[in-house]
Amino acid sequence: MSYVTIENINKSFNDQQVLHNLNLAFEEGEFVTLLGPSGCGKSTLLRILAGLTTPEAGIIKIDGKDVTNVKPKDRKVGMVFQSYALFPNMTVEENIAFGLKMQKMNKEVIAKKVSRMIELVELKGKEKAYPRELSGGQQQRVALARSLVTEPKVLLLDEPLSALDAQIRKNLQKLLRSLQQELNMTTVLVTHDQEEAMAVSDRIYILNAGHIAQEGKPHDIYTRPANEFVARFIGNYNVLTKKQISLLIKDESQFTHDLYAVRPEAFGSEFIMDGYKISGKVQNIMPLGNITRYEIVSGGVAVTVEHLHKSYEKLQENELKTLYINKEDVIPLT
Amino acid sequence: MKRPLYHYFMIGAVVLYLFVPILATLIYSFATQWHKTILPEGLTLGWYRDLFGDVRFLEALGRSLLLSFSATALGLVVMVPTIFSIVLYAPKLEKFIQMLIVMTYAMPGVIIAVGLIRAYSGSRIPMILVTVGAYFVGILPYMYQGTRNSLRNIHAESLMEAAEMLGASRFTAFSKVIIPNILSGIIVSSLLSFSILFGEFVLVNLLAGGHFETIQTYLYQKLNTSGHIASAIVVCYFLLICVLSTIIVRVTRSKKGGGGR
Ligand SMILES: Nc1ncnc2c1ncn2[C@@H]1O[C@H](COP(=O)(O)OP(=O)(O)O)[C@@H](O)[C@H]1O
Ligand SMILES: [Mg+2]
Repeated sequence: MSYVTIENINKSFNDQQVLHNLNLAFEEGEFVTLLGPSGCGKSTLLRILAGLTTPEAGIIKIDGKDVTNVKPKDRKVGMVFQSYALFPNMTVEENIAFGLKMQKMNKEVIAKKVSRMIELVELKGKEKAYPRELSGGQQQRVALARSLVTEPKVLLLDEPLSALDAQIRKNLQKLLRSLQQELNMTTVLVTHDQEEAMAVSDRIYILNAGHIAQEGKPHDIYTRPANEFVARFIGNYNVLTKKQISLLIKDESQFTHDLYAVRPEAFGSEFIMDGYKISGKVQNIMPLGNITRYEIVSGGVAVTVEHLHKSYEKLQENELKTLYINKEDVIPLT
Repeated sequence: MKRPLYHYFMIGAVVLYLFVPILATLIYSFATQWHKTILPEGLTLGWYRDLFGDVRFLEALGRSLLLSFSATALGLVVMVPTIFSIVLYAPKLEKFIQMLIVMTYAMPGVIIAVGLIRAYSGSRIPMILVTVGAYFVGILPYMYQGTRNSLRNIHAESLMEAAEMLGASRFTAFSKVIIPNILSGIIVSSLLSFSILFGEFVLVNLLAGGHFETIQTYLYQKLNTSGHIASAIVVCYFLLICVLSTIIVRVTRSKKGGGGR
């Protein structure tokens, strides 16, 4: 029995169904990410888990208890919002202490917990500051601390980092992951950023228009996309029809599925014994910092190829090139 | 860039137009005699001494303050939580409030007064309470605007959700999180409502006139007996409104300087 289970959840807004009979399960201490494009229903699912939105049907269990009809304040679930939602009239310290005060905890205990949490989220020296005096990243750390300090059973994060710029986002991802590990906090993160999902999660659910498109460990999802949607959403997979792949790799007998996916970095210039070979013209070379991206055109079909940038290996536009690929890297899609 | 001369002329004319009556009233309230001369013949504090020596004046002032204050306080206590609930949890009802607001503007005071007299004169409800009730409805537009805008500014909905997720009941969240953050907004609305009610004359005079002399009815009577004392009343009234306006401006400014995100 999992720590958190979501069973047969349905939800519609104005006769438009946004969640279709969803079933999910999270283990204790697990970091799970709900990943999907904007509007696919991630926030709605998270809010249902929090109790802020009521589902039409379905059951939610946390720690073995049915909480479907329990009020948000009694669910022992913490939530961090994209907009931070800090209390503007309270200092950093008071914001973080708020949840503990609601539990009527004794003052010294509160002070101790709050100062430890401020240390954990690296906000020492900012105790007396008001939210408006902090940067976006600092505000989000306060919001995180405010939820964590109450030791919720599950921590929910709704795109907590998407309003921040890239560098701060990377740092906060690391902080988030290390805090989660240290406190062994069952965490559900919502994001539309697949890199972020890969970087922090133990497991990922990919959502598409209110359905679960695939579920699994980051590595498995990345290397084994189950369908076209996932292949296109994760990384820059080449998605090829049966006809296209047969033209590209002159070996028709092998390809029985309708669609295939190939990762751009799966191609290599070294010979592979049991692999496929493709030869074609190099086009559209794009140096992208540490990787170089280009297209190989063969039999009228173009595929994107990526490899690490090597300064001694000069690529020429329209040059003829032969590449090899492992058979298992040509992934049939359903 | 140089402004054309007629700009200064226009501004000067407007200022003159606005301030001459006030200045004249001020001087008249200090003047001993001012009939045949351009400037008054002498200055005195006598009119103010007479005014503040008059128990009727002090009583009228007290009544006015009490009346405006109780209607405003009632509005504050009843309307703020109501508007909060509607804006956040029943936004469909907002149309209804907006309709009520239009109605408060659409009805001329005299018609309201006559209607209220017709409806309540036979009942046991004292007319002064009816006046408070009418005032309560009258300040709805100011309370609604102020409260709703403040709630929008602080993103009250997400603050409520955040507080609830941290274990606060809706009531606690409202009183500990929402109220402190909209306080300056609702103070401004209340002061505005208060000063408008304080200057109200038509309703209170028609509904409760004889039995309940307010500062406005007192002023009206004094106009017929002593222009100097009437001027002194106007000056006092003007001062009070100035003080209230200053407070409103201060509160609004400090709100912009701090608060929010
Ligand atoms: N309160 C609401 N009222 C009406 N429609 C809503 C509401 N909340 C979300 N939706 C709709 O439900 C769908 C999913 O929304 P959401 O869960 O916010 O998506 P995501 O978080 O994945 O971007 C969207 O089409 C959105 O317009
Ligand atoms: Mg969302």
